[in-house]
Amino acid sequence: MKSMAFITGATGGLGKAFAVECASRGFDLFLTDICETPLSRLSESLSNTYGINVHYCRCDLTDADSRADLYANVRSGGFLFDFLINVAGLDFEGAFEERTLSQIRTMLRLNIEANLELTHELLKMRDPATTFRIINVSSLAAFYPMPVKAMYSASKRFLLNFSRALGEELRSRNVTVTALCPAGMPTTPECIEAIEAQGFAGKITTCNVGYVASKTIDMALRGKPVYIPGLVNRILRAAGSVVPDSIVARAVGSRWNAARSRRMWRKKAHKAYS
Amino acid sequence: MEHAAKTVVITGATSGIGLAAAKELAMKGSYVIGSGRSEERCSSAEQEIKGICPDAKVSFLAADLSSLAEVRRLASDIRETLAKAGYSHLDVLINNAGAVSSWYISTVDGFELQFAVNHLAPFLLTHELLPLLERSQAGTVICTSSGSHYRTRLRWNDIMLRKHYNTLLAYKQTKLANVLFVTELNRRLAASGSDIKAFALDPGLVNTDIGFKGTSGIARMVWRFRSRGGTPPEVPARCMAYLALDPAPRATGKIYWKDCMPKEPSAYSQRPDVAKRLWELSERMCGIVGQGNGREQ
Repeated sequence: MKSMAFITGATGGLGKAFAVECASRGFDLFLTDICETPLSRLSESLSNTYGINVHYCRCDLTDADSRADLYANVRSGGFLFDFLINVAGLDFEGAFEERTLSQIRTMLRLNIEANLELTHELLKMRDPATTFRIINVSSLAAFYPMPVKAMYSASKRFLLNFSRALGEELRSRNVTVTALCPAGMPTTPECIEAIEAQGFAGKITTCNVGYVASKTIDMALRGKPVYIPGLVNRILRAAGSVVPDSIVARAVGSRWNAARSRRMWRKKAHKAYS
Repeated sequence: MEHAAKTVVITGATSGIGLAAAKELAMKGSYVIGSGRSEERCSSAEQEIKGICPDAKVSFLAADLSSLAEVRRLASDIRETLAKAGYSHLDVLINNAGAVSSWYISTVDGFELQFAVNHLAPFLLTHELLPLLERSQAGTVICTSSGSHYRTRLRWNDIMLRKHYNTLLAYKQTKLANVLFVTELNRRLAASGSDIKAFALDPGLVNTDIGFKGTSGIARMVWRFRSRGGTPPEVPARCMAYLALDPAPRATGKIYWKDCMPKEPSAYSQRPDVAKRLWELSERMCGIVGQGNGREQ
């Protein structure tokens, strides 16, 4: 029987890379994201190019009613899944004090609430004939307390711990859970700008999304609980685990501040030129 | 030499080779429809051309060629623009727009950016405008390829280099795809008894800012250094105008041109099996034949 994968955040940079990777392996797809048009474009293109069946349903994952509609839609299709790839997530970078209440709620709802709910619902729709693979997109940020990205890194830490624990809980039930912990990826002009602002450090920690998506599926199929793409990132993670958290937080904070001020300076310089 | 006024479409006509060719063709009396990604650069290019040549007949249409839907929309805008100007045919289509990207970026349709802009967009736009070109006395399709199409091949198991992306390898592949497309297009046109001819243009090393679009760091540095030794864009633009307007190249049967002279393209780019396979894959990707009846990685 054909495999079928469910992907959230499917029209973003990493989600799209996962969708293309799954399609190239011949999996059928169920895609969701917040906007209808890009979903329909991507679905049509993937089905044309790879000859697979693609279903999609628009959903605002931060909204409980919208999620309920999504579950109803999926259930009515009678699909059986063997992959769930939770990509949808967001970051409001910057000082915590400057965030609005609505931003705080949105992040909790999307990064945590939606992920838990979807995992819970999709487990009920897994294909009993095969191993069910869950991939949660965490982050390299999950391993460190990160000033300026405090909420984000904590939410990703939540996903990392949840994934590890759930993987253990369901090990005997033919389910594997893999937490993907990438560094920044060049998916949008803003991300690319942020990576370039970090200079050399940004460059060596960065992996192309196509590569990351492909390797992550391999890792999930092997049942690996955590996957960190990129050798430099694995070294950073190893180094981070032997240094006390307080020192890591201090170091990360100063690095981010430096990168941010370089970025500001660049923007100013850019304005002055044009 | 006297040329009858021709209708010409040039993509990527707001800078570099495309803009130089648009100027040259407009000055020779052609009706030029240029395309560019931003409205703003389109109107400034239009003004620039009209500045040099006040009675130039020129229109610009904005379209982001990384999206297949936008390519289709551009084709219909071109049909409409031509009809408004009183033309029911198109003489020359110049697929010139090109992109370079340091990173693997996937387009709205899920394709790698360079592959989408440099290969799929010309493929689809040509397909869409073929009926208009058929109505011309001497329909011509020109694709801006490059000498970088030599010494490379298509990686069929990962044609968009998703897993091991490299800027230059990806770029070289798309420029090879241009020559393969021209080869297969000519074969198919000849087989169907059409008079349309397709050419690939090798611009040589040209001093344009293509190496600064979507790239960073070392790539920019290298390009800054290399492009200094390049020719100005007017040189390949002259060859482009020659292929577009002069009847001589059509009679030669040669498809690959540099500096108004025919040149041998790479042997790989002339392999009929490769050209056919790429054509069929591109048709599936553009959704031209029915729903996917095969799979490609």
